Amino acid sequence: MNCQEFQEVLPYIIERGGSVKEEEHLRTCPACAELVQELKYIAQQAKLLLPMYDPNPRVWSGIEHALHREGLLQEGRMSRQGHEMTYFPTQAKSWTPLGWAMALASLLAFTVVLVNYHSHLPAAQVAAQNSTTQAAPFDGDDQRLILQVSKQEPAVRRAYEDSLREANAYIEDAQQAVSRDPDDEAANEQLLQAYQQKETLYEMAVARSLP
Amino acid sequence: MRMIKVSTTAAALGLAAAFCAGQTRKETRMEIAPGGTVNIINNGGSVNLKPGSGNQVVVEYTTHSDKVEVDQTSTADRRRIEIRTHVLPEQKPAAEESKIDYEITIPVGVSVSVTTATAPITVEGLSGEISLSSDTGQVTVSNVKRSHVHVRGVAAPVSMSNVTLGHVDIAANGGSVQLANVTGPKVSVATTSGNIAYQGDCSGVGSYLMTTHSGSIELTLPQTASVDLTARSVSGVVENDFPLQKKTHTSFVPKTGSSFAGTSNSGSSSVELQSFSGRIRVKKQ
Repeated sequence: MNCQEFQEVLPYIIERGGSVKEEEHLRTCPACAELVQELKYIAQQAKLLLPMYDPNPRVWSGIEHALHREGLLQEGRMSRQGHEMTYFPTQAKSWTPLGWAMALASLLAFTVVLVNYHSHLPAAQVAAQNSTTQAAPFDGDDQRLILQVSKQEPAVRRAYEDSLREANAYIEDAQQAVSRDPDDEAANEQLLQAYQQKETLYEMAVARSLP
Repeated sequence: MRMIKVSTTAAALGLAAAFCAGQTRKETRMEIAPGGTVNIINNGGSVNLKPGSGNQVVVEYTTHSDKVEVDQTSTADRRRIEIRTHVLPEQKPAAEESKIDYEITIPVGVSVSVTTATAPITVEGLSGEISLSSDTGQVTVSNVKRSHVHVRGVAAPVSMSNVTLGHVDIAANGGSVQLANVTGPKVSVATTSGNIAYQGDCSGVGSYLMTTHSGSIELTLPQTASVDLTARSVSGVVENDFPLQKKTHTSFVPKTGSSFAGTSNSGSSSVELQSFSGRIRVKKQ
């Protein structure tokens, strides 16, 4: 089992524990072991939010509307203070404030886990998953580069992602400095250096892809 | 170019010895023409290069599983040797299983090119052209004279000591760079976020250029250093504790706290330090 296969079943492993194969991978792969440990820690910390988290009433309202919109909640089923409620005798206690708090805490925990889980997937895969909901962090060429190195160990992939992000920030900073003062020799030299750093990353990634 | 496949098993002088479960050590020897080149490609594990006499490249390596092997090829004219870690078909080794540790002896005057992903690279006392590339593995070079040394890294820390009279070119991106007694006609270091530390006298009537985006640059010079020094940062802090004579003519207007220029002794080497937002500090040894 490789890291990608392991990370595909990660949510189930966190929830139920892994199979013999998965446990074996976990023992031999420090990167995945670290990831599992981090996720378990986050899930534990999320539970601690429960007693102190008291969201704004607008949050309840937003959740209610979303559930109605998705058809997951019938009209009058919501039991928020100040609202007219319809009780179903057999389920009268299902949507108590505590129940909602637990549901929200679970949702928060799940979101945190999902975000963290995504950060360990190949960037191109993440970008594809998020393409309709958020802007891609890198342009098309950068994404292709990350896809190219995504076959490497997770630590290598992360190193490329971080370095690309830094090189892009370098270029952006230098471009801004040059546009503020086109005669600024230091800023112009920095811009040249920034592009050269990015070029190095591309050359290294291309070298990796050669047979 | 016709390539001669050198069978690892046939060329093995000793099969070795299993140190413990899954580990196998082997040794091969390959002839190389004077001034030839050795290319080494190894993702994980380690690569250590040391100097040797004669005309043989001696490759000692330790595998950690039977899911990987070493391909060794040589051109017909013996001017190029390639040593490559290779995963066997149908195998999906874990990171630990795919590692190979190399100890390679390189004859005098032979050039080397090493590419790794996570494997650290150590080079000691070589004399040919040296080209090293690693994604995250530590790169260490020491006791090299009159060579061209090129290093590229993504997040690989780079450490060099006693590299003299060389052409040194380092592009380290996020990796830190530490140089001690590295001198030559040309020394160039560039990072994005990696810190740069240089300790030495910048001798050799050379050109020294160190640039970074957000990393720091720290230059420690002995009082005997003969340098023509400029330090500039677009938005970072620039500090100087080294005694310099102010230059009367500079290509830019020095601005307290963000740039300065000056000379020490006869100013025989040119030293340029540039950052975007990183702190630059020059101090006396």
